[in-house]
Amino acid sequence: MEDQILALTAELAAVKSAAQVTNTMFAEAYYYLTIPLMVIIHAGFLLYEMGQTRVKNVLSSGIKNLLAFAFTIITFYLFGWWFYWALPTFPVTSLVAGAGYMEISGLAYASAIALPWGDSAQYMGPNMADHASGVFWGAFALFAATTASIASGALIERIQTVGFVICAIVLGSFAWVVAAAWGWHADGWLVTEFGFHDFGAAGLVHAVAGFFALGILVNLGPRVGKFNADGSANKISGHNLPLTVTGLMLIIVGFFGFLMACIILPGEGWSWYSDAGTTIYGTPMTLSALAFNVCLAASGGIIGAWVFTKDPFWMMSGCLAGIISVASGLDVYFGSHVIIISIVAGMILKPCADWVEGLGIDDAVGAVTVHGTIGLFGVVVLGVFGSGIPGLGAYAPEGTVAISLFGQIVGAVVMFLLGFVPGYIVSWLVNKAGMLRIPDDVQIRGLDAVKVPAQAYPESMVSTESDSK
Amino acid sequence: MGYFAESFAELHADGAWIDMGMYIGSGSSMPGWYTVIASVMLVAILVKGNNDEQDHYK
Repeated sequence: MEDQILALTAELAAVKSAAQVTNTMFAEAYYYLTIPLMVIIHAGFLLYEMGQTRVKNVLSSGIKNLLAFAFTIITFYLFGWWFYWALPTFPVTSLVAGAGYMEISGLAYASAIALPWGDSAQYMGPNMADHASGVFWGAFALFAATTASIASGALIERIQTVGFVICAIVLGSFAWVVAAAWGWHADGWLVTEFGFHDFGAAGLVHAVAGFFALGILVNLGPRVGKFNADGSANKISGHNLPLTVTGLMLIIVGFFGFLMACIILPGEGWSWYSDAGTTIYGTPMTLSALAFNVCLAASGGIIGAWVFTKDPFWMMSGCLAGIISVASGLDVYFGSHVIIISIVAGMILKPCADWVEGLGIDDAVGAVTVHGTIGLFGVVVLGVFGSGIPGLGAYAPEGTVAISLFGQIVGAVVMFLLGFVPGYIVSWLVNKAGMLRIPDDVQIRGLDAVKVPAQAYPESMVSTESDSK
Repeated sequence: MGYFAESFAELHADGAWIDMGMYIGSGSSMPGWYTVIASVMLVAILVKGNNDEQDHYK
């Protein structure tokens, strides 16, 4: 009898061990697969941006976008990842390890796991005992690259390549990372002090990137020929709207991976629960909730934009806007609620973009509006409807601050500042170095002819006479 | 330089892998130097890229 109990105990331990291995491998594969899905976002941005460019500048726009992707990912490895773990409690409490109640933040913690040198290098490369660091880093690196791609489109046809890359590095490996540390980490002070909630990163990715682009645009100025002497704006059409619209649809495909990566799977060292997935805040979340709400939001945004524009470019931008408008609360919205919010987001999109243009800002793809304005709209709307929802999971200490309109407005202001101020400052410095704006005569000749040793289309396909202005 | 173990058996004890970096240079200062070299390369590439770009605009 005793032997049988011992044998059964050993067998149970083996089964539990095997189950844990399966869980760990599944979790690793789950996050790993979000990475190529998010690469699709960049394929989408590449098509979107090149389609919105005139023939004479197509390849130059593509090069800029590709370099932003590459440099952002590498610099996120070199220092961006460290900022995310170091800064959650700064400047409200201190940078010492354990300042947050989860005890996964602070200088010492970040330096132990997120630097590519010294002892922490063991978690920044191959390690058979660590199935989490690389896939989490990969997902975050693609979030970082997404911010750079968002800003990239707004600046096409007149920003210098290296000047833009420097701005992209600051955005992708610092500005949005600070926002994520403060508002997308269980120790983040926006979360613990104000109950800030942004499940799908409407504020900390989209709004930060959108307003970072605005900060650059102020210093960069418009494309040659965009505005007339009386201040009225001319429409500069891209050379391939089908490419742009297809690119936007690919971005939506990638968003499913992006949002999937926002879920914390159960049963691992980093998990909140052993039996259920959660948001990054430890609050309830499932892939099923995402399936309902993302599909509905995408559809609502298309319909809302169609009401006033009838334009496929704005309809697909509305599709993005619909998802962004509910991204903060994808974990707590009911499907029909999502439909209402996303339709409204689609409807206000074009008027908001027209207003920005009326200020003399030449945002070539509407990124400031789609990502910036709608991102903040989404953050604040959650405060309107979601006040009172607990801000952290069941294991959070008593007295955890709940979601509130005030907290969401504070978060929205912080996200605006974390985007606009660094964007303005770094582009001002780059401009002072003579590396920001492409000379007007080069813009008129076309960037590809001047600096790209390749040709996008057959010689017979050139910009029209009006494009040369 | 080189790999730090002669056999993977010594890295797999009691049914589990040892928690350590398993790459060339692990446990030495080499990863840090690789990081320094990579960083310098990136900066140099940006400087050269900018010089080339400014030449195009002249």
